[in-house]
Amino acid sequence: MKVNKDGNGYTFAFSIILVIVVGVILSSLSIGLDPLKKANVAVKKKMNILSALGVESTRQDGSDKYDEFIKDSYVISHNGVLQEDLPEEKKAFNLDVQKQFRDKTIEVSDRLYPIFEAEKDGATIFVLPVVGKGLWGPIWGFVALADDYETIVGTSFDHKGETPGLGAEIAQDFFENRYNGEKIADNGQFTPIKVVQNGTGSEEQKVDGITGGTITSKGVEKMVNKTMRVYYKYFSKNK
Amino acid sequence: MESTLDIFVKAIFTENMIFAYFLGMCSYLAVSKTVKTGVGLGLAVVFVLGVTVPMNYLLENYVLKEGALSWLNEDYGVNGSNTIDLSFLSFIMFIAVVASIVQLVEMLVEKFAPALYGALGIFLPLIAVNCSILGGALFMQDRQYSTILDATSFALGSGVGWFIAIVSLAAIREKIRYSNVPPALRGLGITFIVTGLMGIAFMSFMGVEYGKKEEAKSNTESGGAVETSQIINVKQVN
Amino acid sequence: MSTTEEKLKAPKEPLFSKKNKRLITDPLSDNNPITIQVLGICSALAITVQVEQAFWMSISVIFVMVFGNLIVSLLRNLIPSRVRIIVQLVIVASLVIIVNESLQAFVPDVSEKLSVFVGLIITNCIIMGRFEAFAMSNKPFPSILDAVGNAIGYAWILVLVALVREVLGSGKIWGANIFGNNLPGEESGLYALGYVNNNLMILPPMALIVVGVIIWVQRSMNKELVEEN
Repeated sequence: MKVNKDGNGYTFAFSIILVIVVGVILSSLSIGLDPLKKANVAVKKKMNILSALGVESTRQDGSDKYDEFIKDSYVISHNGVLQEDLPEEKKAFNLDVQKQFRDKTIEVSDRLYPIFEAEKDGATIFVLPVVGKGLWGPIWGFVALADDYETIVGTSFDHKGETPGLGAEIAQDFFENRYNGEKIADNGQFTPIKVVQNGTGSEEQKVDGITGGTITSKGVEKMVNKTMRVYYKYFSKNK
Repeated sequence: MESTLDIFVKAIFTENMIFAYFLGMCSYLAVSKTVKTGVGLGLAVVFVLGVTVPMNYLLENYVLKEGALSWLNEDYGVNGSNTIDLSFLSFIMFIAVVASIVQLVEMLVEKFAPALYGALGIFLPLIAVNCSILGGALFMQDRQYSTILDATSFALGSGVGWFIAIVSLAAIREKIRYSNVPPALRGLGITFIVTGLMGIAFMSFMGVEYGKKEEAKSNTESGGAVETSQIINVKQVN
Repeated sequence: MSTTEEKLKAPKEPLFSKKNKRLITDPLSDNNPITIQVLGICSALAITVQVEQAFWMSISVIFVMVFGNLIVSLLRNLIPSRVRIIVQLVIVASLVIIVNESLQAFVPDVSEKLSVFVGLIITNCIIMGRFEAFAMSNKPFPSILDAVGNAIGYAWILVLVALVREVLGSGKIWGANIFGNNLPGEESGLYALGYVNNNLMILPPMALIVVGVIIWVQRSMNKELVEEN
């Protein structure tokens, strides 16, 4: 029997079979790989937190080390007030600060700020997430603060799509280390840290930016200062 | 954050589809021989982007995204007991929307505006596989615009940027015919290089800072000093 | 069924006959998809800043193309001609989703780097072009060869452009320094002598100019390819 391939019936039947086959293959693949993907995202976040602490980790041992170093985590509001009884998806680790930053329907004053409390070499260190925007898209990272509540002891930054070799260098160790030792406060007053392009980064409250990555560097400056201001409100109250 | 107008202007100049992301290069190079055809294809791209991106935005936010089906049943939402995440299907859905819209537009144009079809007809099928259309949808998803208005203004901005790019390249190619280009570079080679040079010219828009006013306002609101940085910084392009 | 007939016929032709070999070698130079046919540059140029990205992009494209061409070729007598383009798009899109999901699950670092550009493989004109021009009218085996040839022809240009840009732009190959250390204050190697990376190479437009130069070189060597203006 010769089937009329240009007939409507054949075309419909073919399309329906195709859609079912494709749908089944893709759904099972997606469901099968989903736990792996979710785990990857979570491990990456843990690795970033650890990196700000100055702890090297790999995708394999990221989770274990996270449990080893991070002792506690909690969430504060934009005014620096500790938040309690939050639903599961707003707990410190699950809170998506990037989404919160991008979503215009959330007022700035309604944003939540997680704090990860870590213990390293006997000292308490606070790891604080920061988000902002670079030249091409979002940039984010973590800043580690010593227990004097003002000295930065480590940072780790990451980005979505900054220019490789220029803005993208913010994710490199050499840039991240430039923040070490800077203070976000002086005599109980918040003080911003400037990212400069003229090579005077060794001065106090100044960090050298990335040559050719001016806008991304400025983005980092804005991101760190804006978020640290909020956290300092909390720390200065709870010293 | 960025205002709707910022997104529009940014999509035309700073994040120009052609010069910053090379999207839609195939048809861009193939159809830019004369200004007339360039204008035709450019308009078609503006139109198709303007229609498909908002449609894909609705699809993304009410069907595909994690928990997007919460309007059907609370259980399917992000906080529900049975969260549904269909985002793995987004490629196939986006391209299906693009392909069917293009087909539909082609049929409508053929029926109601035969003259326009004569001019645009051959370009429309090309558009289905034009990267800038699917690229527009994927960037929309990636950047998670918070309102459909923002997504539409991004789409129209990208379209206009693409239009400007193809028309100006076509104009340059019309003139280049009278120049003495080295034989091996004629045609395609010189077109690539001209596009590259145009891209460098477009990069000077990159230093423009958007949303300065609003940013300053929100900074003072949170009780801080406004950071003084140059409004325009074209000296060091990122 | 015509497909089974062809399967029976196939062994008569040597596996790598002259004709089949040409299917692979032609797209590498004289009929290169990027420099001659001008297809598929859309998604390609943006990820040629580093060799690593270009490499993974190439692998993904080779995978999608080979399997896509194979599937289309197997189904060629079944696909209704009216919905041909959509069916082809669905096949590419499904393969790309498979690639994307696998990258996210197994090599998440690469997936982050390629971001939306994996999705853009769908509209890579080479793939649709080969489906339409070759796989729809040829047997599965030649279709695979054709796909391999074209995908590699695409890949080597991609990696070459990335190599030029990464070496000149950031002084690295696959992320490793080749000219010495260029961190401010602790320069070594060439940088200590005053060498500076050409940051212009990293900017997007330079990809076009590099491809332009490759075309120039290729056509100077093979005069037949020169276009009339």
